[in-house]
Amino acid sequence: MTSPLTTGADARTRKGPGGVALSLALLPALAVVLILFGGGFALGIVQALGYLPGAGLGEWSLAHFARVLSDPDFLHSFLLTLYIAGASTVIAAGISIPAALGLASLSKRSRVIHFIFQMPLTVPHLVIAIAVMFMLAPAGLLSRAATGAGWIASPADFPLLINDAWGIGIILTYVWKEIPFITLMLLAVLRHTGRDLLDVGRTLKADAWQRFRYITLPIIFPALGAASLIVFAYTFGAFEVPFLLGQTYPMTLPVWAYKHYSDIDLMARPEGIATGIVIALVVMAAVILAQVLTKAARKRGLIA
Amino acid sequence: MKKSSRRFFGSIVGATVGLPFLSLVLWSFAERWFYPALWPQAWGLRAWRYITSTAGFQVMTAIGHSVVVAAVTAAIAVVIAVPAGRALGQYDFKGKDLVSVLLTLPIIVPPLCVAMGLHLWFIRLGLAETYAGVIGVHLTFCLPYAIFVLWGVFANYNPDFEDQARSLGASRAVVMARVMLPMILPGISVAALFAFLLSWSQYLSTLIIGGGRVTTLPVLLFALMGSGDRPVAAAVSLVFVAPAFIALLFSARHLGNRSLAGVR
Amino acid sequence: MGELDLKNLRIDYGARMIIRDFNLAVRNGEMMSLLGPSGAGKTTILKAIAGLLAPAAGDILIDGQSVRDVPPEKRDAVMVFQKPLLFPFMNVAQNIGFGLRMQGQPGREARRHIGAILALTQLEGLEHRKVHELSGGQQQRVALARALVLKPSVLLLDEPLSNLDANLRQRMRELIQTIQSETRMTMLFVTHDQSEALMISHRVALLLEGRLRQVGAPRELFYQPADPEVARFFGGRNFFQGHVRDGKLHSDLGVFPVGPQNGNGHVRTATIRPEDIRIAPRATGQSRGLRGRVVKTRFEGSSTRVVVACGANEVMVLTPEDAFRPGQEVEITVPPEKIRLFPGD
Ligand SMILES: Nc1ncnc2c1ncn2[C@@H]1O[C@H](COP(=O)(O)OP(=O)(O)OP(=O)(O)O)[C@@H](O)[C@H]1O
Ligand SMILES: [Mg+2]
Repeated sequence: MTSPLTTGADARTRKGPGGVALSLALLPALAVVLILFGGGFALGIVQALGYLPGAGLGEWSLAHFARVLSDPDFLHSFLLTLYIAGASTVIAAGISIPAALGLASLSKRSRVIHFIFQMPLTVPHLVIAIAVMFMLAPAGLLSRAATGAGWIASPADFPLLINDAWGIGIILTYVWKEIPFITLMLLAVLRHTGRDLLDVGRTLKADAWQRFRYITLPIIFPALGAASLIVFAYTFGAFEVPFLLGQTYPMTLPVWAYKHYSDIDLMARPEGIATGIVIALVVMAAVILAQVLTKAARKRGLIA
Repeated sequence: MKKSSRRFFGSIVGATVGLPFLSLVLWSFAERWFYPALWPQAWGLRAWRYITSTAGFQVMTAIGHSVVVAAVTAAIAVVIAVPAGRALGQYDFKGKDLVSVLLTLPIIVPPLCVAMGLHLWFIRLGLAETYAGVIGVHLTFCLPYAIFVLWGVFANYNPDFEDQARSLGASRAVVMARVMLPMILPGISVAALFAFLLSWSQYLSTLIIGGGRVTTLPVLLFALMGSGDRPVAAAVSLVFVAPAFIALLFSARHLGNRSLAGVR
Repeated sequence: MGELDLKNLRIDYGARMIIRDFNLAVRNGEMMSLLGPSGAGKTTILKAIAGLLAPAAGDILIDGQSVRDVPPEKRDAVMVFQKPLLFPFMNVAQNIGFGLRMQGQPGREARRHIGAILALTQLEGLEHRKVHELSGGQQQRVALARALVLKPSVLLLDEPLSNLDANLRQRMRELIQTIQSETRMTMLFVTHDQSEALMISHRVALLLEGRLRQVGAPRELFYQPADPEVARFFGGRNFFQGHVRDGKLHSDLGVFPVGPQNGNGHVRTATIRPEDIRIAPRATGQSRGLRGRVVKTRFEGSSTRVVVACGANEVMVLTPEDAFRPGQEVEITVPPEKIRLFPGD
């Protein structure tokens, strides 16, 4: 497996300079990941399994997980989170494909468009969520514009776009933020291999749609898949945006997890952690599922 | 692309990106702005004055916390990521796949989950509510990202230059400093920028580990959102994006056409 | 059918004019080489014929029909690029079958065509290989097969042999020649290698700096270059001027009969190929040769290049003997029948 972020890079790999030197080079990185990340994750699991801080080892049990999973609201929250993450990913990916093609066909001199396009990358989720709130709230900019145009008479007539059941504000925020991320990943690949192969395709009688379907899509597929997975994982596990723009009920899983975790009732804390673990497991399962599906599709010749 | 369609494409991109900022700017300068006016009825600097004087100390402290945390995180991440990225990008070795998976996990698993797990342990170690603790939890995801950037950089880096320099009489240290470093400097900048921005915009893990002590900008901003003062929240939001913008300008100027692919 | 006609073609990149006043007619079933040094604009012309570049002026006709408004995918001309440019996400058979698939050809028929082309290009057994598991020569053959399978009226080959080693190059060249004579496909073969062009094609078109300089059979270009630059491209080195009087060229190198029709009373340029000049050590006594002194020599294996100073002129001689040293006094003989007198303006 090559890393998701280096697909398309043509590795000039050679045989190692000896295990010791390589280990030394990797050691600090692995130490940080294993101790801080691995440790945090493992400690989370331990706590979710009933280890009580201060009271030493309590009963090992799945009780906290059971309580989380059997909560009637869990399914609601789970489905809502899945819907928001899925919709955001699909919409962002769907827009990113034409956007990447558009940017690729721009000459490199159109640097202004490139620059503007990259701006959302640097904007924290929190800020764009606040801006979206200012725009889409019942008395927000959009609502004012609609009143000005005479379409509605008062904020009450304006459709609910934030804190709504469909998570529209949340999804819009994610889409705005993630399009450049996916697009630039695709663009890197397109720049690397794009033009010449399309010319070959043209002289080999492929029309515009066929060139897209049989050349461009296979070229960008690995990057698109990797970028989408990262976006899905992020949107499934992020807290700020649904906390600001979501409904109070049902909550998304991360909001739910943090609510339990920060509850005054300390007994709720392991449940919050257990929810966090569930989120992590879902995300990992999604990644594995994607790998399996890709492999199966490759085997059947559906993709390269 | 034809000129007309380029205009069209450009204006869609411009409007989509610009509109949210416009609304923030309008709100931050709005003194009075009642429904259903499309423009504020009265403009003013109240919000800006508030965050520079009344709440000036709070805001400055938050900026300070944020800068220290993000800068130190980025510096540590890059220092650790350069050798790791070089090893991964230049060499094939047993267990490389495993390393790759290990580094992918922190990118996939939400920081929320790790932060909750680390919290109690950090309390024991006295790392809770300290810079060290917050930087530690930020490193868990900033470092893998930095490594992936440098992995890509080193995958396209031709080590023959180093051999050439060695054969011309340069020592190992000189080769590293005078040959490798200049060649990968754009990559290092991207990795650092990347780690900085990730840390800069982090909210929940900072809140959990940093508690009420390491109040970075996002923590302050969340608190302000709770108070419901829109102009002030808008002004702080703009302060919050400013360094990111400067970083983007820097990258556009100094990194040429090398885009920020992969930054999030 | 496969007649290709290029009329007054002009091609620009931005403000730079790359090709100008380009006229070329390739006959049906002909193997024509487009020869020129790197940067002359060969690829540019092929791309224009394939439709990947729009000419700024002029017309392109295939079988008498203008294709100016026909998009590349509808043109009956297929291009094989300088690099193999195989689709990395397809195996060999899928690459070769790409064009057929795009035309919606049914699988069974396509497989038959692919099988035939695999045999023709000696790629049998490799059909399920991944592209990156092929050698450079195999990749180049797949690229060729991918174009051949479409049986285009005109096949455009852009230096398809340039990335191969000498041995493989020769084998591929023979393969292309065999395929051409078997299929009678019209081919425009781009190369910067003069011997390759002379070997492979029925006719050669020489392109220098965006202009077509001469078109003709290989021997014609080699022995009757239209002007000194063409001669220079084919290795001509000795250019000299003389005055034509009474059917004779009077020059520093001697007086040569040139036939009465050749511009009496004018100063003209002439050339003689280095290998046509005879050289011998200065003999004592009577001789009819020109006297000179060896300035330098360059040993090239089966022959040696000798530069001889004859009065004010330096003459380059190519001789099979490695018997001359700088400073040596020699005699050279210029056979009059090998002199090429360039036509006047
Ligand atoms: N995309 C382009 N933009 C601007 N100029 C170009 C472009 N492509 C080629 N040129 C220029 O046009 C001229 C002809 O290029 P072309 O590729 O046709 O040369 P060529 O004869 O095929 O050379 P080679 O044998 O090296 O392939 C060159 O001077 C080249 O610099
Ligand atoms: Mg060329």
